[in-house]
Amino acid sequence: MLGSERGVVEEWLSEFKSLPETRIPSYAGSLHLKKSLVPALYRVIQDPNNELLEPVCHQLFELYRSSEDRLRRFTLQFLPELVWVYLRVTASRDRQSNGCIEALLLGIYNLEIVDKDGNSKLLSFTIPSLSKPSVYHEPSSLGSMALTEGALCQHDLIRVVYSGLHPQRETFTAQNRFEVLCFLMLCYNSAVVYMPLSSYQSVCRMSSRVCVCGFPRQQQKLWREPCNRVLLDPEFMVQMLTAVYHAIYNGEWEMGQEALEDIVYRAQLELYSQPLLLGNAMKNSLPESAPETQRGRKVLQVEVTPTISRISISAITTASIRRHRWKREDADGMSGGEDSFNINDPDEGFSSGASNSSQPSGTKTGGSLGQRGSLNSSSSSFKKAITARLSRDKDKEKDREKERERDRERQQSPPGSIKLDAIHLSPIKKHLSFPAGHPLVRTGSTSSSKSFDCMNLNLNGGEDEREEAAGGSDKETGPLLGGSLRHSTVSLQEEHLNRPEESQALLSPGAPLTKQSRSPSFNMQIISQV
Amino acid sequence: MTARKSGSRLESEIERCRSESQWDKIPELVRQLSAKLISNGLCLEKVPSSSPSLSNKNSPSTNRSPAEREQEIITCYEKSGDIALLYLQEAEKVSGIQNRSPKPGPTSQDLELGYFLETGLQRAHVIHFKNGNLTQGVGRFREILRAVETRTTQNLRMTIARQLAEILLRGMCEQSYWSPLEDPPTVSPLDNPTQKGLTYSKNYTLSRRPRVYSGENLFCPQENTEEALLLLLISESMANRDAVLSRIPEHNNDRIISLQSASVVYDLLTIALGRRGQYEMLSECLERAMKFAFEEFHLWYQLALSLMAAGKSARAVKVLKECIRLKPDDPTIPLLAVKMCIGPLHWLDEGEKFAKMVIDMEEKAAEFRGKGYLAIGLVYSLKATDGKFCSSLSPTDHLAAFYLALQLAVSRQIPEALGYVRQALQLQGDDVHSLHLLALLLSAQKHYHDALNIIEMALSEYPENFNLLYTKVKLEAMCRGPEEALLTCKHMLQIWKSFYNLTNPSDSGRGSSLLDRAIADRRQLNAMTLPDFSDPDTGSVHATSIAASRVEQALSEVASSLQSSAPKHGPLHPWMTLAQIWLHAAEVYIGMSKPAEATACTQEAANLFPTSHNVLYMRGQIAELRGNMDDAKRWYEEALSINPTHVKTMQRLGLILHQLQRYSLSEKVLRDAVQVNSTAHDVWNSLGEVLQAQGNAAAATECFLTALELEASSPILPFTIIPRAL
Repeated sequence: MLGSERGVVEEWLSEFKSLPETRIPSYAGSLHLKKSLVPALYRVIQDPNNELLEPVCHQLFELYRSSEDRLRRFTLQFLPELVWVYLRVTASRDRQSNGCIEALLLGIYNLEIVDKDGNSKLLSFTIPSLSKPSVYHEPSSLGSMALTEGALCQHDLIRVVYSGLHPQRETFTAQNRFEVLCFLMLCYNSAVVYMPLSSYQSVCRMSSRVCVCGFPRQQQKLWREPCNRVLLDPEFMVQMLTAVYHAIYNGEWEMGQEALEDIVYRAQLELYSQPLLLGNAMKNSLPESAPETQRGRKVLQVEVTPTISRISISAITTASIRRHRWKREDADGMSGGEDSFNINDPDEGFSSGASNSSQPSGTKTGGSLGQRGSLNSSSSSFKKAITARLSRDKDKEKDREKERERDRERQQSPPGSIKLDAIHLSPIKKHLSFPAGHPLVRTGSTSSSKSFDCMNLNLNGGEDEREEAAGGSDKETGPLLGGSLRHSTVSLQEEHLNRPEESQALLSPGAPLTKQSRSPSFNMQIISQV
Repeated sequence: MTARKSGSRLESEIERCRSESQWDKIPELVRQLSAKLISNGLCLEKVPSSSPSLSNKNSPSTNRSPAEREQEIITCYEKSGDIALLYLQEAEKVSGIQNRSPKPGPTSQDLELGYFLETGLQRAHVIHFKNGNLTQGVGRFREILRAVETRTTQNLRMTIARQLAEILLRGMCEQSYWSPLEDPPTVSPLDNPTQKGLTYSKNYTLSRRPRVYSGENLFCPQENTEEALLLLLISESMANRDAVLSRIPEHNNDRIISLQSASVVYDLLTIALGRRGQYEMLSECLERAMKFAFEEFHLWYQLALSLMAAGKSARAVKVLKECIRLKPDDPTIPLLAVKMCIGPLHWLDEGEKFAKMVIDMEEKAAEFRGKGYLAIGLVYSLKATDGKFCSSLSPTDHLAAFYLALQLAVSRQIPEALGYVRQALQLQGDDVHSLHLLALLLSAQKHYHDALNIIEMALSEYPENFNLLYTKVKLEAMCRGPEEALLTCKHMLQIWKSFYNLTNPSDSGRGSSLLDRAIADRRQLNAMTLPDFSDPDTGSVHATSIAASRVEQALSEVASSLQSSAPKHGPLHPWMTLAQIWLHAAEVYIGMSKPAEATACTQEAANLFPTSHNVLYMRGQIAELRGNMDDAKRWYEEALSINPTHVKTMQRLGLILHQLQRYSLSEKVLRDAVQVNSTAHDVWNSLGEVLQAQGNAAAATECFLTALELEASSPILPFTIIPRAL
């Protein structure tokens, strides 16, 4: 350490001690003008044998204890460096030399976990829900999710505590180490905007080193100081990522990206899903090149992006499918169509997450849960059936006529031959009338398929829709099936389980009721009646 | 000058049309007007600030500062943007198109944002950001977004919402945040300091302003992440709507565009929810991304990781399989799968398959190869077969040394195991499992005091580790008498209380309060214990025994899961831990021959898990202590009906049968017990006694010798209480 640096630090130490209370605000304002002070303090912190380390830590803590935000932030800028020094020493044999840095970290932690009145701080936030109007949107304008069951379930905004009720800590133990460090990094991140560039560099350096030291990748780094591996905690790595993410977009493009790579590297080795998840997202959403630095640190950038009809009109999208249905609805002259669609539409996504959430655990805990899941879903589709029926009262009239017609037919043909029909017809018709699929099987195995195929149900949603879309183009050739295409597959599967008569309604009224045109589910019903 | 004039002329023209209800004319006029304003702005930007511009002769151009010019440019853009928003809203209202998005109106002459309108709406905030003026850029973003949406502005809003979310996540933090309905801070670190004093103020007025969202109880974000999340959810719903589903080649480009725009939104959602620990909600969001995900590795992988982080292991493994198919060369993916198979799922065969994939990658797996061998060794070790894995591949990995030590310990090669556990401790001095294993090894050598010292040392680093505490109770009862052990039990109850009252509620579950979670936990608990008895469908022996062994497994792993703060296997743990503590206390009381106290403790555990075989076993022991052999026998039989492979119960039952002189049945039970666990020395001992009573002296001797040998290397608690996970 150079003599001049030493002088700067010593001057800083004595100046604050002799400062009267009244001059603290002006002192806080002028602190950032001491250009050589911050680098000199980094030097002190990095050197465990420096005799100034103890008074410096003490003074940093004093600054943190003051009521002046700027002084607190002055201390906070050194947090990444302090954490690095602490973790490096912990990983090494020699644990005693860490005393004053440990004390400083614990001191900041103990100050931060309570609010001004000394009560435990609770950090919480509200999870916004699209089903509740906000300053930026109206639920109805976002399509049909407004009335879905799932959306209604989440109608109340949920408040989540993401950090809170931390106990006071007198010492670091291996067990509480990362609880304390996570919380400290959370504090750092909540004020990250106020940190100077040197602190961003420090946080990137710390993240890189903590992640690679003792691993093969360290050999590729300029920094090769031998060092034991540092144990890490996934939550702590998430906090590091948050800080590094900020650094990347605020002046430390290159260092930040290197740190990001190193954290992802370590997360892979440790098989930690959380930091891997965030790290992948951050890497994947990076702009292709560094944003041009215009005036020093700010590299956040927004561009005029053309947004007009980038997607050609002919392409089949979720929205176009819905429009398609709308047109047909209008053509059919169905009243109250909107409501019935709101209820049947699973593709908007708002419902799917919530309503499916009861299912995924089914496979894990075996029979009992799976059954419960299917109970839920069948009751919900029962509701759907009711509402749908309400909206289709008109069709009912026609149906009844058809029913009578069918009854006549049924009486004419012997029961045995109908059974044969059913067996022959269903495979042939399958590719055309896919919604009517194989209801017999499905009814039989509802619960089992629910619990084991929950993945198919959810994951194939997209593909099913594509299939449906393909069906949509078939429509011209097979007008007979037009009506059934209105339904998206998921709702269809459920509906067909519970209301065979509904599928009858799907047969378009004008179609002649020949044997060929019977849908398998219709045959099914006959069988069950026979 | 001329531009100005015609601008105001256009404005009055529009007003006139409006009052005369000539709606069809308005769009064209608006387009003209904003075109005027925008070309004005573009010109001003192009003209270098030094030369006086022609179009502004009327202003005192000679002494105009650059600041004023900037101001004028921005005014042009913002004004044109506002006018555009306003008239789009009105036009749409009148033509009867309610902006119920999916439905095109009957007269759907979709208005289109032309180049000019779009520039007007975007250019202003772009300039703010270019000038480093974040506060105002954010303000302008918010103004546009608060205006009620029209069909025409949907795409624009989707883009802007995403951009604002990006700014919030990348350039702001909790302390620098101000809510959309508050005034921005006057001095902000967000703004470029060189631009100070250049604050822009709105200096134009419009007779009417664009309609904004209003009403009772509007949700207004109060926090950085909140606003980002809201914007991203809005953006997501729109991106989702534009998902191009057809896969024909002509639509390839469209599909890529829709995928990219959605993918960015999902990445940002991941970042926002991840930093708040909301993995469950995240996994639900990412599931909605699946309609884009055909053959898209990134989306699949992210879904898998979010499911894993949310604790939905079974689904995560399934999704990981798809990831492996899409990217067969990445060793991380099968390793993640093994981790869950070994850990929460106990799918050992599956795990073996995944681990073999990693090993088969050979050199390609690089640093992960060692992990692959470690994984397969663990699988074998868990399958209780002879696991030999190669720790030479990663000599710096303390886990390899540790598991080798553990495996040696399980097969009772105590001195060798001690060597490896020391090596592990050298690599990672405060690894809790290594310390625990060391203590158990010492106890196997009957150095109980040393073992207790090690445990206490470990506890100074991990004061809330129940697994260590259980061992401590056992050792204390042995070395220092039962009173000390009871004190430790009491201490454990206190820790339990403070631990679960103070636990971090954010780690799982969306938002429910702690209390809710506790209640939900209890409900699940009931659901879990139910199938043991009351579920007629799972009545077959096989099913029940699986259910029972699940309960057992969970119970015995309770402790293992409480290490540090990381593991969250399931919601059951708090209650299982509590039951476990009570049972330990009961055991100490039994050791003190105090049946009443032991009964009370057992009852506490029974309140939580009435059908746990551990509880029933303890009841049997108490009955035995009271001399009530018939009761004891009944309890043991009940315990075995729930878990037919519980060795301790089998041993006690065998002993009672022996006392009742039903030798052959006793022998059968004990032989079964030895089959399940061949290292339980007291079972061998009892078996020897039974054989002796039957007059089979030779076999009895052999049993006694085995028992003696095993006893010499028997730890105070089985080595297998140390969890094995990647």
